[in-house]
Amino acid sequence: MSDGNANGAKFNYLYGLINLAVVFCIVWFLWYVFMHADGVMKLYTPMYGFSLVTVLVASVILLSQVLGWPADSEKPLAAGAAIVRGILGAAISLAIMYVTYYLVFWLFIGKYGVAYFSPSAMVAGGGTGAEPWNAREWASTAILYFTTAFLWWALVWNLGFGRWPWQNDSHWVRGWSRFFVISLLSVVTFALLFHPHVCLLFPEAQKMVGAKPWWEGWADTSSAFFGLGVVLCTMWWVVFSGLFWEGRPWSWFDRDGEGNLLKGVITFLATLAMGLITVYILAAIFNTIWMEPYVGGQYTDGPDWRFIHMAEVGGFCILFAFIWKYYFNNFPNGGPLLLRAFVRSVIGVTGGVLIYWFYYSPLTKFFLGKVHGWAQPDDKPLVWTLLFLAVVLVQAEFFHNWPLRSAGRDRG
Amino acid sequence: MKRRDFLKGMAVTGAAAGVSGGLGLIPKSAEARGKVDFGQVKGVKVDVLSETSWFDNAVFKKDIMDHGGAMTNQYKIPWNWDNAGGYMTKITVYPLEGDPKVFLMDTGWNNGWVDYIYDEKSDMGKLLTSGEVDTMILSHWHLDHYWGIESTLKRNPKITMYAPKTYFPEDMKLLKGGTNVAKAKDGGEVMINKNKVPHQGKLVLTSPDGEKGTGVYQVMPGMAVKMYDVPILLRVRGENVLYFNVKDKGIVTVTGCCHPGILTLNAWARRNVKGYQPYGCYGGLHITLFETWDPKFDDIIKGVKAFKLKKVGCNHCTGWIWAEKAAAAGVPIVKGTNKYKTYKRTSSVAKSSNAFLTNGDTVEF
Repeated sequence: MSDGNANGAKFNYLYGLINLAVVFCIVWFLWYVFMHADGVMKLYTPMYGFSLVTVLVASVILLSQVLGWPADSEKPLAAGAAIVRGILGAAISLAIMYVTYYLVFWLFIGKYGVAYFSPSAMVAGGGTGAEPWNAREWASTAILYFTTAFLWWALVWNLGFGRWPWQNDSHWVRGWSRFFVISLLSVVTFALLFHPHVCLLFPEAQKMVGAKPWWEGWADTSSAFFGLGVVLCTMWWVVFSGLFWEGRPWSWFDRDGEGNLLKGVITFLATLAMGLITVYILAAIFNTIWMEPYVGGQYTDGPDWRFIHMAEVGGFCILFAFIWKYYFNNFPNGGPLLLRAFVRSVIGVTGGVLIYWFYYSPLTKFFLGKVHGWAQPDDKPLVWTLLFLAVVLVQAEFFHNWPLRSAGRDRG
Repeated sequence: MKRRDFLKGMAVTGAAAGVSGGLGLIPKSAEARGKVDFGQVKGVKVDVLSETSWFDNAVFKKDIMDHGGAMTNQYKIPWNWDNAGGYMTKITVYPLEGDPKVFLMDTGWNNGWVDYIYDEKSDMGKLLTSGEVDTMILSHWHLDHYWGIESTLKRNPKITMYAPKTYFPEDMKLLKGGTNVAKAKDGGEVMINKNKVPHQGKLVLTSPDGEKGTGVYQVMPGMAVKMYDVPILLRVRGENVLYFNVKDKGIVTVTGCCHPGILTLNAWARRNVKGYQPYGCYGGLHITLFETWDPKFDDIIKGVKAFKLKKVGCNHCTGWIWAEKAAAAGVPIVKGTNKYKTYKRTSSVAKSSNAFLTNGDTVEF
């Protein structure tokens, strides 16, 4: 049960499966400590836990894909070096998460600029519903949306623009430049896709601050779950094309082996188009299962839920893509690219459906403390999905996928 | 998904219903058998016994958030007992022929509050004791609708109960005459509910399929119970909804919390009830429970307007903010009175706008 990998070493799929089982248990443990209603921290309120885990994933992506540390994460390391680097990477990611969430959003931007990023600023402002619990959920929603925009741009930039236009600069100049431009684009995306929703979160709608949701006529909802659905479905294809299609067809636009403006724009627009097509396809599937949604519908009848459910399906497929890449060596690795890309994509979607089945099966009553059924407004499957993804990414990027892949050992 | 208006969406809904039934992905037995006809009534009168399930939103919310948020198990929270009230509704049904019949929906939370309502603020205590009220519809197993069961059973232990079959062990333990405890912060145990009078009457456990696959349970001609199997906050599942078909008016729904959504209730009736005409609703509508807001609540206002309900009586978990905004937007909200002020306790969110039907108010359909 082994196969060659890109480095020419043998990959043991049984070890991959064992690794996946161990990671599942780690995520289960973390869920119990941080999220489970009977656990220790009880952060799953749900938006507070949702936003925290999203910022954690964004922190890992920021460090590994935007700033590019460590630069050689694909290289197998000896156990000792992998552990040290892994712990360091995880610690830095947690520190970034803490600084971003509590210092940047809560205490800086929220307190001195945009109040809806800070619970205390909203409570201080007073008004109907402005009590600590509501305010924390409102701020969490805003932070979640901003971080989603950041994640989208971070991944699509990496895939499309790559090192351009700083390919001739030093590693850190490139990393920080990328960070600033991605942040800028995230601000614009947040303003267009999510800010109108946040401005309607309050009993007194902030009509002079946020525009009327422009998507309402098309989506039958003024909720920005619409944007969340579109972004996650787009990220689905960013991840699939990056991992499963080995960067094709976007890499055809490379110049001298580097990304460029044309490639970046094409990658962005094409994946967005694929995301929108996916939204249409999923909408049709959902309509078949739950019938047509309608304005004001709740639970499975709500257009807003249909869109966030699209995001959840996208999240499941994204998670499985990373699992397949890191724990199953992106099988298959032989044959023409077109064939292996197709096979991987089919496996990826099947795996996403498998995770979907797991999440909505009675098993999660035991593992996650979930009540069986769909569309409970406080049930956010992306929280568990992103927590899982964070652990997968930390192992892959900072531990150099140790112990599955280790220098001097025949595991991958 | 293309831009469409509500009626167009509803037309498509009918077509999609056939497709989904054909694929067998979800049970659509009612659609498969054609529309259900559960008869008609002359009228329905709803008396608000108590819609104040708790008196202070902040205290109730703190209890939830301190113990794990909305997904936590209601039986694991040592609730602040002083804040507990309860939700109970008296429903008088006027059949096409014969005498009116009275039903009870839900049985509150705090036994002290329920007894006060039954004996001092209404005639429900007498009606239960005399057996004139012999049927209770439990909307769902939430604490504020169910944990006061002892107050009902000590007056009429043989009462017939319709309850969702999706109960948890603690629910049935209480019904059979048990006590549940939760852990307090200091590690000790706190009794959170009790019932010394086991239920001896008929228990109809409802499912979405209904009687003989009709989708509903007919209680009497013109009155039916429909169970929706939906996940609900605080680890509860499933809700019973009352449907009335009022002659020359249309369909009226009476709910405890309406977790599935008021439009879902009407959409189901539109697809499945013979001669459906929208008319009215009463109950908690579960929209802005803690007086906060979300863009989707604006969607609900638009949807309710599009459905052209004639009378919307709401309270409890609907949220005053939603009721006020809906009234301002043209939704026919039935205004309440100031009777609630004569009760020994009132809700901290009650306002002079009277957008809620509050304790002591009545609405007729």
